[in-house]
This record gives sequence, structure tokens and C-alpha cells, in this order.
Amino acid sequence: MTTLTEQHRDPAWAWARYEPAAGRPWTLALAGHLHRRAGFGGTWEQLQRALRGGPQRTVDGLLRPAGDVAGFNRDFDKYEASADDARGVEDLRAWWLQRMMQSPHPLLEKMTLFWHGHFSVDGGKVNFTRLAQRHVALLRGQALGSFRELLRGIVHDAAVFLSLEAAINRKSQPNEQFPRWLMECYTVGHGNYTEADVRGAARAFAGWFVLQGELRDIPREHDTESKRILGQQGPFNSDDVVRILLEQPATAQHIVRKLYRWLISETAEPDARLIAPLAAAFGKDYDVGKVVEMMLRSNLFYSAAAVRQRVKCPVEFALGIVRALEGAVPAMNLAHDLGRLGQSLFFPPTTKGWTGGRDWINHATLAGRHNLAAAFLQATGGPYAGKLNPGEVAKKHGISTPQAAAKFFAELFVQDAAVAGEVIERDADKAARHAAYAVVTSPEFQLA
Amino acid sequence: MECVPADAFLAVEVMKPQAVLSPFDEKGAAMLTALPGVQDQLAKPGVKQFFQIVKVIENQLGTEWRAGLGQMTGGGVAFAMCPQERNVFIAEASDVSMTKRLNEFLLKAAASKKSSDGSTALFEAQPIDGVPAWTLGPKETHVIAGNLLIISSGAEGVRAALAQRAKGAASSLAATPAYQAAKRAVGPDAAAMVFVNTAMLKQFPGFAEKLNFKNANPLAVLLFAGIGDAVQGANWLALGVRVKDGGLALQLASDAKPAASSPSAFALPAKSGDGILPNITVPRQIAAFSFYRDLRRFYQAKDQLFPERTSGLIFFENMMGIFFSGRDMTDDVFAQAAPEVRFVVANQEYDPAIGTPEAQIPAFAVILRLRDPAKSNEMLEEAFQKSIGLASFTRGQQAQPGFIIERPVHWNTRYTVARFPSAAIKDRARLDIRYNFRPTLAMPGQYLVISSTDGLAADLMDALGREAKQMPAPLAGIHSLAELDGAQVSAVLQRNLDIIARGNMVKQGRSLEDARAQMNALITAAQVVSKLRLTIGADAGASCATLDVDLCQPAKGKGLARAR
Repeated sequence: MTTLTEQHRDPAWAWARYEPAAGRPWTLALAGHLHRRAGFGGTWEQLQRALRGGPQRTVDGLLRPAGDVAGFNRDFDKYEASADDARGVEDLRAWWLQRMMQSPHPLLEKMTLFWHGHFSVDGGKVNFTRLAQRHVALLRGQALGSFRELLRGIVHDAAVFLSLEAAINRKSQPNEQFPRWLMECYTVGHGNYTEADVRGAARAFAGWFVLQGELRDIPREHDTESKRILGQQGPFNSDDVVRILLEQPATAQHIVRKLYRWLISETAEPDARLIAPLAAAFGKDYDVGKVVEMMLRSNLFYSAAAVRQRVKCPVEFALGIVRALEGAVPAMNLAHDLGRLGQSLFFPPTTKGWTGGRDWINHATLAGRHNLAAAFLQATGGPYAGKLNPGEVAKKHGISTPQAAAKFFAELFVQDAAVAGEVIERDADKAARHAAYAVVTSPEFQLA
Repeated sequence: MECVPADAFLAVEVMKPQAVLSPFDEKGAAMLTALPGVQDQLAKPGVKQFFQIVKVIENQLGTEWRAGLGQMTGGGVAFAMCPQERNVFIAEASDVSMTKRLNEFLLKAAASKKSSDGSTALFEAQPIDGVPAWTLGPKETHVIAGNLLIISSGAEGVRAALAQRAKGAASSLAATPAYQAAKRAVGPDAAAMVFVNTAMLKQFPGFAEKLNFKNANPLAVLLFAGIGDAVQGANWLALGVRVKDGGLALQLASDAKPAASSPSAFALPAKSGDGILPNITVPRQIAAFSFYRDLRRFYQAKDQLFPERTSGLIFFENMMGIFFSGRDMTDDVFAQAAPEVRFVVANQEYDPAIGTPEAQIPAFAVILRLRDPAKSNEMLEEAFQKSIGLASFTRGQQAQPGFIIERPVHWNTRYTVARFPSAAIKDRARLDIRYNFRPTLAMPGQYLVISSTDGLAADLMDALGREAKQMPAPLAGIHSLAELDGAQVSAVLQRNLDIIARGNMVKQGRSLEDARAQMNALITAAQVVSKLRLTIGADAGASCATLDVDLCQPAKGKGLARAR
């Protein structure tokens, strides 16, 4: 665990743009760090381009990639639409992973994953696949957009109501589940609301029902009487609740802290002074993209306080291998295998999502990561066999000897040649597979 | 075959090489190249390069490849696998000069490659038993002895073949009783035969264990009854290949004799002359299956057939007890069915008033003959309606629409159909997958039809009405029959091409282009096959199977037409 130094804690220094200098040069390691945090790790070509282009131009490219992102997502939206209710969200999980493997905008998918953990919708409780699909589409639509719009979407999202077992909101018996989690997890966070606020908000949501897989507003069930919510009094409805929550400074602080943990570090808790400038900026317009951009361009992001200060979640671990090796693996199998590593998409363990951090790693999940890496990298046998070809990737980049391949994969995956494994195998293809396996099972590769 | 030692455990003999080459004549080649999928394959660089090499060889030998290959193999071809990896390939030439010219050309080409890339391949090996031998790679040795080309993975294989040749045919594999019996079983008109000496293979560690497999899936046991017994009980297996005008016929024979006392005997026709009924034919039929299965005997033998499934069966019986109101499954339910069991799969036509599902699943149905319709009809109707009710209830628990049960009449048969409500459909061009199903129960005369759609049930009622007027004779001795229509398979694949290709993206980790290409290859294969017919049963007491494959022929300007 790295503790924050005085310099790290100084907001003026921390959030100023990182400009490479003699003492803090732009290196392959920092390029790799940026691609890991703002995506799922880079290919060799992306890392080299980043190295040539410098940090700020690379961030430009990650925020606004050149490819036809809208067209890509339109196609995948269409593919996902054929997922049927009978199979639950199984198909959707696979499609999302496929999207992550192929997306020209990995940061968008990475942030969609962040919001999935934040809102933590449980696919097992959402009986309608199209609702789960719409929910993730909502997350993706605003993943780097407006949190205000996202929250407005969330409070009218049938999947969220079903997931929180709040499908029925009668005036005579307001359902407190939805407003409680809205405050506890989605907005102001623990300690910034009272039970009376929950009861008031629950009355404001009276009249919202999920019927036959659709969210319906039934006016006869509205509670039009005055309520008190977070210090404000009035005949509030659900839109008013959203407005009141977004007016609370605690909401911006809560979201910025989570983003800090996702993008910068989960080992050292930032103090209020450090995050204050970001929270203040975020609270003005709730523009997620702006905060993400500030973080990715900052001095702090490229400092020891951030580099390798997160444990990769299973999705990052697996996608890090697949994307770096410029391949694709059967997403249906991958979805199952990620579940064994503790991250089953659409099935977060609690309403608070995945705890993350060190909880990702234990004896069983570490062995599971090794097994998955072995399955990815074997030439024959199993669902992933032959799908990734490290030897071809090495050859494509001019690597001709097993020794050079070992160094190449160490630099590709962890940007540290010292992590290269010992070379025993003479066969080029096998040597490349062994070398890649040695690196992706190293402790360094488990860190983002 | 006189060069193949008697200890070979696998042998392939091509008795009529010209017949085997005949599908690749100009007519056959035109047929293949007319297919869009094949044209795509031919355009690939690797395939183009291969044909360029063939062209170079044709120029060198001064003959077209089919004619050259015919001359080099005119006396027959054999391949055999023997213990200690003594694998050998033998081609008997009708004109050995052609073989010699090819050998010289290959040696020259290899020598030129050696001088250009410095490879250390050895081209001339030590003579074997006085016969000059050559090698083109680390695991290849060949000789030309008389009019025979003998190729093996090493000198030992060639030596064994030459030694066998010197000893004479009487001690070769061809002279063994098992091989001769196999030859008789596949018949004199077979162009080629694959022979497997399973008695010898069973002596290999691990193989006997693998051969002694036991399928624990009751449905698989029911469908593939007798096949496992035949393979496990056989001393030899033989696959005969016949090339017919516009098609192929494969005949699998063995010396295994099914035992009436075996638990799998529920699939044996009870008396001489018994067997399956011919398949039923309906419009847009993709496949049809006909089985001889005594369901009562099958269920009675469940503890011997799949003992490890006992707990699952107890659950099954409890569930069935609900549908069949506590009746005994063996004597009160399965005993009601006669042993003729048939299945039909057909493409659907959708009602435009309801719409078309995005994923189009073929309709399927099972047809049974009832021993006593008057006794069983109400029991079956009750069970069907209960199951529909349960499905509707379960769906309702998940806020999903359930079924509406209707009782229409087709000709003079009142049948039961369960359909999903359709009034509130928003997009009739892309219906949900569930609209492929309208579970139907019909009991016309002595038959029971359980179908996934009422459309197929109606077609079956028509077909069964025709059959009832003139009952067909059973196919004596046959216990299983499967028939497939390539054009209908191709049609269903084409209808669902995008959906299946997309599914393969996430299931197999392919790009959409790759997945589409894979599907197109499958569609091409389906287009090549006009009809496929597999029968399994017993011939002269021994288990046998026959696969007839009819291929499509190109018709000028009209694409593919049926060969027969």
C-alpha cells in the first residue's frame, strides 16, 4: 500500500496536467498504466503509439477515439436485441464481453462497467432480458456523459426497480427499498441521509409500478401531500427527489470518491481537501467525462500514488490478456469463467456491487486466474484453445527468438522486461505461449 | 492387399479407384464449382496456390491429374495401420511409368528446394531388401517395387510390406477370416472398404475401456439403442463405400449379433417381419425419423440401462405422477404406445396475421401409434392440458404471458392447441422466439401426435389419414431410420444465418465475417447433399447400418437440381 505524500495530497499539484519532464519522463510503463485504467490494456501498437504521442494526445484518443464508435455500438445493440428471455441475461453477458473485446472505445466500456458496479442491478431479479439490456444501454449512454441524466434514467428504469424488489409502490404502503438504496449507494452515500428522508422519498415514488415488464406511472397511487426530504419541504414527486439529491454536495463527493477508487487508487483513501476541486467541478454540471478527463490527465494519475494501486477485477484480468494478444475468445465461456473468479456480470454479490480491491484475490481465485490464463494460452483442448496466438503476435512485431519473445511479452503485459520468465522451450509457438503465461500469472499483471 | 500384414488393426482398401475418382470428373467438378461457398473457397490464396502446384505437376507428367492418378492407382490402393506404428500406404499402378515419373519430379523438386534453402532432407535412403528407397522428409520413406508404390512413416514399415509381399497373399490381412467376412458383408460392388479389427484393438490398454462406454442419458439410450452393443460386441467393423450415379452409399457392417436378453432388446423387432414403419412425409420436411422402440420394455429396463439415474428417475416419476394422475408409468402409460415411434421436423410457414419470429425454429413432432386409443385418449389429453397449465402458471409467476388453449377441428379430429396471445404484438416482423411454438396434441384414429405447432400437426393428420387408408408394410429387421433433406436444411440455415452467425461470435470467439463464412460453408455442404438416408438394423442376424447420400447436380442456368 502506498501512502499519499504531501505532494500527492496537494490538490494544486495533484490535479494539474501531467507534463513529462526529466525527473518524470513519459515511459512505456506509464503508457501501459494509462491503457489499463482507461481501457483493458493496450496492444503493442497502441502502447508504441502512446509512447510516441505523449500522455495528453493519448488521453485525447482514449476519450474521443477515431473509429466509428456509434456504428459499432448500434450493431451490437442489434445483436443483443436477439437475446431472449428464456436464457435470462446469459446472452447479454456474453455480448457485453464481446463488446469489451472488440470496442474501438474501451474507456466507454470500462466506465459502463464502473456504473454497473455502482447501480449493481441483479439480472437474476430482472425477469426480462430486454430490461437488463436497456439498463446497460442507459449506463453506456451516459457512462462518460451526464450523471444528472443517468440518475433521471435510473429512477425510471424498470430493471432497477425489479432488482431492488421495489416493483410495487403504493400510496398506502410506500416501498422504502428504492429510495434507501438511491440515497445509500447511488447518490449521497452513508451518513448523509436519515430514515425520515427515506420515508419522504418513498412517498414521492408512490405510483410507480413495474407491470408486465414495463415501468408505469399510476396517478391514482400518487401521494400528493407534502413531504420533507433532506431539509426541503413540498409535495415532491420522483423528479423532485432526483433534483434534491443532485443539489446535495455529498452526491458529487460520493461519486468522485468512487471514481477516484476506480481510476486512481484503491489503496489510499483521499482526504476531503484532495477531492474537493473535483467534487466542486462535478457538482456544477455532473459531467462524468470532464472528471474522468481531469483524472486521466493529472499529475496524480501518473504518480506512484496511482500506478499499480488497484487490483484488476476479473474482467480487466481476462480482457487484458485477450486485447493485448489482439484476439477474441468465446464470450459465452468467458462469462461463466469470470463468474468463478468472482465477477459474474449482471450478478453483483450485493446491492453495493463488488467490493473489489484485495477481495478479488484469494487462494481459489488466484488459482482460477492461473487456470484461465492457461486455458487462454493453450494451443489445443478446451473452449479457448487456439483462439489467442502469442507466437503470431510476437512475429507480427518482429520478434524471432524465444528469448526476445519472453522480453516482448513482459513489456507488452506489464511494461517491465524484468518480469520475463525463464526460456526453456525451443519451439517458437510453445515458447511464446509459455512466456505469455509466465507474465500474465505474475503478481504484477494482477495489478491495474 | 497382399502386402498388408495380418496384424493390421485398421485397413482401407480401394478396390475400384476409378469409381472413387468418378465424383471428381468434369460433371462433378462443375457441380461443386457452381456452389457459391465453393467459389469463395477457390478464391482463397492457399487454395489457388494448391491448384497451381497441381497444374505444374500435370505439365510435368503430361497428363491431366485424374488420368494420372488413375494410372498410378489403377490396380487398387491400400492403407493399413499396424502395431509399432508400422503404417503403410500401397498403390498398385496400371502404368508404373507414371509413378516413376512423378517420383523423379518430386525428387528433383526436393533437391532444388534443398539447394535453395539449405535444408538437410535426405532424398535417397539405404536400399531396403535390395529395393531402392527414397525419403522426402523425416517421417517418410518410399519404394517402387514392381508396379507397387509403397510409402511408410519409416523404413520398418516398408520392410514389413516387402516381407509380406515376398511371403505371399495367403498370410496377408486379406486372407484372414475376419477380413473376408467383412468383404462379403459390404458386398462385391463396394468401391472401397474401411476395416477395423476391434478384437485386436480391445487388447490395447485403454481402448477396451473406451469401447466399453455406457451412455447415461436416457434419451440417448432410447435413440441409439443397440448401436453401442453392436460396437462393443463386434470382433470387426467394416465400412463399405459404393459410388453411384449422383450419390454415395456407405454400409457399416459388423459381426455383432444383438441378444434378445440384452437390456437394449427393446429396440429389436419382436418377431420376424417386424420393423419400423416408413417415415411420414409432410410439406417443407427437413428430417424424419422412424424407430422401433418398445417404450414399455425400455422403461422397465431403466435400472439396467442407466442405473446412475435412479434419483433423477424418481423425480421424473413424481412429476409425471402429477400429469398422469398417479398412474404407473410402465404399465399404465408407456404400455399404451405401440413400438413404432416416429419424429418429423419441418420448416414452418408463419401466419402473416400474427407475424414472423426473428429466429425461425423448425416445427417438430412425435407420432406414436396407440394400442387402445379409447382407453388412453382422455389420459393423454388430461396430461397435455395439465402441462400447458403448469407452463402458463410458471410464466405468469414471472409476469410473462401464458398460453391460451383452443380445441379446433381438422377434418373430423378435434385437437388441442396452446397458443400465445397475439393481439398486443407491437412488431410483427420480429416476433419473440416463443412465437415459434404452438404446442399441439392431436389423436387422429389410432395415432397420437404431439407437435410443437398446430400447422405441423395438421400436416401430420393429413399424412396419417392417407397412411391409415393403406397401412404400409413395416421395413423388416430395421430398428432405426433417419432421412434428411439437404435443400430444407439449407433453407432453415439461410433463414437463420445472421442469428446463428451472431451466436457463434460469442460461443466460438469468431468475428462476424468468420462466423458468416462458417455458416455459408455449412449451407454449401447442405446444398451438395440432396438426400441423406440412414438405416440401422440387422442383416442375417448381424448388426448393420447403411447410409445413402444423394448429391445434387447442377442444371444449366438453374443452379442445383436433384440427381434422383
